[in-house]
Amino acid sequence: MKKVIIFLIVLTVLFFNSDSFATTGEGSKTFSPYFDMTLSEGAFIPSDGNFFSGGNIKTQVGLLTKVNPSNSIFGLYNLHYSGPGFQPQDSKQFQDRSLSHGFNVEYRRDIIKSLKIRPGISYSKEYRRTGANEAWENGLYNMDSFGGQLAADYYFDFDRDGILTFQYLTRDVKFPNYTDLLREFQGAGYSSEVSGGLQDQTLNNISIRPKWNKFFGGLTYIWQDYKNERVIDSNGTYGATRQKDENITLDFGFHHILSILEMYPVISYTMHTSNQNYVRYKYLGASSTNLLSGSSDVTFIKGNYNYNELNLNIPVDLLITSKWAISGGINIVKRDYTDRPPRNSNNNYDFNSRQSNTLTTISGGIRKQLNDISLFRINYSLIVGSSNNTFEKYLPYNYTGNSISIAYQITY
Amino acid sequence: MKKTIIYAFILSIIMPCISYASSIDLGAKATQLAGEIIANPTAFFYEFQQDLETTTPLPPGKTYGFQTGIFPTLLPATYANLSGKYRLHGEGRISPGLPQLDIAGGYWNMIATKIATEQSKDINSLDFSGYYIDLIMSSSVSPKIRTFYGYKYSQLKASLKLNKAVDIAGAQVTSFDAGFRDDFLIAGIEHITSINKFWSIQMNYGIKEQVLASKISWYGKYFEFGLNIYPEGILVIHPVVNFHLNF
Repeated sequence: MKKVIIFLIVLTVLFFNSDSFATTGEGSKTFSPYFDMTLSEGAFIPSDGNFFSGGNIKTQVGLLTKVNPSNSIFGLYNLHYSGPGFQPQDSKQFQDRSLSHGFNVEYRRDIIKSLKIRPGISYSKEYRRTGANEAWENGLYNMDSFGGQLAADYYFDFDRDGILTFQYLTRDVKFPNYTDLLREFQGAGYSSEVSGGLQDQTLNNISIRPKWNKFFGGLTYIWQDYKNERVIDSNGTYGATRQKDENITLDFGFHHILSILEMYPVISYTMHTSNQNYVRYKYLGASSTNLLSGSSDVTFIKGNYNYNELNLNIPVDLLITSKWAISGGINIVKRDYTDRPPRNSNNNYDFNSRQSNTLTTISGGIRKQLNDISLFRINYSLIVGSSNNTFEKYLPYNYTGNSISIAYQITY
Repeated sequence: MKKTIIYAFILSIIMPCISYASSIDLGAKATQLAGEIIANPTAFFYEFQQDLETTTPLPPGKTYGFQTGIFPTLLPATYANLSGKYRLHGEGRISPGLPQLDIAGGYWNMIATKIATEQSKDINSLDFSGYYIDLIMSSSVSPKIRTFYGYKYSQLKASLKLNKAVDIAGAQVTSFDAGFRDDFLIAGIEHITSINKFWSIQMNYGIKEQVLASKISWYGKYFEFGLNIYPEGILVIHPVVNFHLNF
């Protein structure tokens, strides 16, 4: 019902929008709509297992309302469906899919000519499911998020689009269906702990991002405070400390056209730390007296989730004509866990090394600009996943995949 | 030279695909698809219903129109179908800039079920049918581009009555009534490419069952050619041909 009400509000706003188009000139529009839709569908052929298909749908419907030259309001609805596809290691199964709705309203005010502030609010709802017959409403990782933002843009070079943006975001994130199955099995007594909400958290994000002459970069700091989830102590039981995660990301990139070569590479480096630890049970009901042995049935791993990740993305388009382009690119994601040892195929830890995953994607394709507002892509990708972790009962770590996809995009 | 590069590039894409095609187990995939259809047959047939539904606005200047789905609805699915569309308000008619508002609806009935009923002694009645109604609001954002938004109620009905009970998974069944319905929100954009030639892209989202459908359509005076994508469906991509007349 909430979705219907919000959509009707958006419809009402859009309804009034059209009146202004008729009465104002192109350059002085009070209302400017924004529409962006991308459809893609692909076939995926993994080195091990059956081929499968999956798609992505992104739809954004927005409206910029200029109240007066210094004040405007921007509303945006965002729908994103992500279907089956190859996934980075330690993330999710190939067949997992998600569906999210996001609503954002942002107020934009020009304080002086070179300074703009943008406070805003945001609500999003995300569904996740792992099987075709699982209802969207019952997904273990379904999520609701509500929060606000304060952003400021400082324009230091109008000629070369030089902007320094500072942004603070906060979100109250809830996972209404999440529960710890192991805890339910082991201690049906403490029902308050297992009745959901274990992943509920407050997420905060501070970033500073400079942009100049089509070069851009940024420093982002994210911290997540879990409301209920507690940290596992070295004795393998939950202690009193609540979980806290932190992310620091540095990124840099540019988007330039040199003759017929269009390049937009980005490099980023992320340091993720969490005070949460991990206990690996080899089977339900396993027990052990030595939690520090990599081969025992129960093993405690301190700092299991800490990692450093390098992400290098180099897409290149060769502009053959004004409508046709050949595209290619390489994307490398390398994640090195700082404390987590790799596991062998028998689920035993090797404490002499640390887990390292690499996912490399090499792609090539053709892009055609169909008209002023739409384009079409056909793309082939070779994906190579490699890791020194060879325990792959639940998630694939070492695989090769081929995919061919078509995509259709429209932006107005 | 450019052509050579392009051909070489296309070949470099096709060759790996051919080499991997031999590793594809089509039999297993077919079994999986059959299992999904059996698990939820109404959802499968519901996708064909969406293929015949008209959810784009009437062309500017037209007052009413008719449409019938040809492929994959009439052929091969034997959906006899007819849709109608009527313009309630022309853009800017009452007040400058006030959007165009269209109402549309349609009905279909599966001919194959009628034939099956007549030829079988065990089936008393078998009905596979559906209907829908929608409201589409469209507004020009430039001389060649319109955005449109709308609401659609869509219902599929399936009922079976047998002359004698049959055993299905241990239960004695003499009849069943099933169906599938949802309330859809629609958002799309239409671009006119030349006189009487349009293409559009739209998203249909069912808010009760989280049904997702995306439609890309090219249409002219008589025919509409489309690619409907049902990302959670069994046959994900439906090529679609509809015939329409607008007056």
